[in-house]
Amino acid sequence: MLKINQLKASVEDTPILKGLDLTIGPGEVHAIMGPNGSGKSTLASVLAGREEYEIGGGTVDFDGQDLLDMDATERARSGLFLAFQYPVEIPGVSNINFMRAALNGKREHAGLEPIAGKDFLNLVKEKASLVELDGKLRDRSVNEGFSGGEKKRNEIFQMAMLEPKFAVLDETDSGLDIDALRIVANGVNSMRSPERSFLVITHYQRLLDYIVPDFVHVLVDGKIVRTGGKELALELEERGYDWIKEGVVS
Amino acid sequence: MSTALNKQPQLGPQRLPMHAASQTKGLEMERRLQALFPDCVNEAVDALLTTLPVPHRRLERWKYAAVNGFWAECARSQTQTLVATALDPLPVPGLDAYRLVFVNGRFDAASSSLPVAEGVTCMPLSDAEANGREKRILTDMERTDWFAALNGKYATDGVFLSIKDGVVLDRPLVIHQRQEGVGNPTFLRHSIHLGKHAEASVVVWSSSSDDASGFVNTLTTGAVGEGATLRLDKVQDEPGTVHHLAMESIDQAASSHFRIQTATIQGLWVRNDLAIALNGAGADAVLNGAFLPNKSEMVDNHTTVDHRMPHCTSSESYKGILYDKSKGVFNGKVFVRPDAQQTNAYQQNANILASREAVMNAKPELEIYADDVKCSHGCTIGQFDDDALFYAQSRGIGEAEAKSMLVHAFIADILDGFAVEEVALEVRHRLAEKHNWNRWDDPSDN
Repeated sequence: MLKINQLKASVEDTPILKGLDLTIGPGEVHAIMGPNGSGKSTLASVLAGREEYEIGGGTVDFDGQDLLDMDATERARSGLFLAFQYPVEIPGVSNINFMRAALNGKREHAGLEPIAGKDFLNLVKEKASLVELDGKLRDRSVNEGFSGGEKKRNEIFQMAMLEPKFAVLDETDSGLDIDALRIVANGVNSMRSPERSFLVITHYQRLLDYIVPDFVHVLVDGKIVRTGGKELALELEERGYDWIKEGVVS
Repeated sequence: MSTALNKQPQLGPQRLPMHAASQTKGLEMERRLQALFPDCVNEAVDALLTTLPVPHRRLERWKYAAVNGFWAECARSQTQTLVATALDPLPVPGLDAYRLVFVNGRFDAASSSLPVAEGVTCMPLSDAEANGREKRILTDMERTDWFAALNGKYATDGVFLSIKDGVVLDRPLVIHQRQEGVGNPTFLRHSIHLGKHAEASVVVWSSSSDDASGFVNTLTTGAVGEGATLRLDKVQDEPGTVHHLAMESIDQAASSHFRIQTATIQGLWVRNDLAIALNGAGADAVLNGAFLPNKSEMVDNHTTVDHRMPHCTSSESYKGILYDKSKGVFNGKVFVRPDAQQTNAYQQNANILASREAVMNAKPELEIYADDVKCSHGCTIGQFDDDALFYAQSRGIGEAEAKSMLVHAFIADILDGFAVEEVALEVRHRLAEKHNWNRWDDPSDN
């Protein structure tokens, strides 16, 4: 599904990713944990195609395509999805029109006609119920005036609408209370399938109680320094990151 | 009481410097106009034309709007030649409206459909002046600005609309001003009188053929009676090299309402000059506008709102999105005179520079001589929100479509404010056509 090889990226001449390797197979859920500033969110942005990041080397193969050669729109239309850590507010653009443009963009890419209005509304209804997204929030401007939890639920709603092959969840648990966390995790879990892969970026082990990963990676200073099963997350929760950092240095 | 409060504000330009080369250009232009319009005579204007400074860059009012295009366009002018065109008299499809059509400043009776109703008098201005219903009285604008003064002398025609007390015009009145051919100078003057509690919606739509040149100089005067409501939808959609100067001089009586909504779709050089005088207590004025110039277009919005009496409100919002090498100007004056206590004045000007080469000059000017007032203003000049663009793209929305979504969101409140719904819709279509937005996802259309 996704094969990252020796990826290097910098922002304003500061290197952030320093030769990152990661391979994610179909249907797998991988978690990336790591201390602040280790490059977790940079990895998410680079994968989604944010242009502020300079790619200094390496390759990313996405389902047989050269991901780094595509712009953000093409990546999304090819089946990549990023759930933002800080979803953006777009005043004046209704959530529902935003999603219709997104869905039709994807359909156009696949050589399909724009979705019929009635089918679209039925789809919205079905997917919104997955994350218990209120009808009013669908009609309001994109993320404007949404609470932190509503924003994150809206991200998962969008993901459900677009049915990506591969989704990156960037600290989707931050700012969520326990109820919202459970709703968001249920939404994600309901989408797990043998064809769909996830990369879950998080600070805390807590999220991984709800979205159980197949692999856990530790990112330190722009590289993956340790990989294990879900029990690695528990160990990190208990011992912190210092012991790993020391291990890297020595 | 302090001297500042006793002082009456001096409105309009005072002791303005003349610029010799510009005076010469102006004189040449005026000579040419005299030759083209030998029947136009107005001694009061002649006196003004020799004493007022011809616009040039060192006049604050004209600092950012170069007028040399006018000299060039006027030099191309010739005897009016009218070619028969397949002109659609109504620029707004499907609108049930009265209409008065003018081609190069000449009334086109065959294309027009005038209102006939009890209490409503409407006719070409030339008729109204000929039969003594209307007398040409120079406005403050003409007395203080050289280009405006030209209108007082050379306006060949226009619309005369007078509505009696309590009468509501049952349909919008569309004034379609069409510019055709090479170098034609067009002067139009519209005169609107609303009696007490009368109501009217007027659409002033300017259009031109793709290869039209010349200039259009229009002055709309409005006398809005006590408790009356005048809504003015103004659309400027002129391709070619037409230079367009549109002036509105509105006098509002007590408790009257005036609302002007302007959309500048296209035009090489467009300037809107508005002077709103709130002459009676409790009057309310709303001035909104959107402009989206591209290529090397220039759009200038100059507004003056003069609060002369207490308890009046004014609200102003102009929004611009500037593409390519286009230029924009906003100058918003608000005067609050000593008697205008309890004034509530609001002004906003927001702009997006969609290109590195676009230029916006914005200047709010508030002069407040009363002490119990609420005045606020804000001005922003920014770029497209990169975060919002990336967010949309990360959902599979193309960059061009994402930008057009942001544009629509930015100006939606202005476009929604048109008095006539069909006008708002047509403006959206015309904008989409100009900017190659392949679809217009109307936020309200689900």
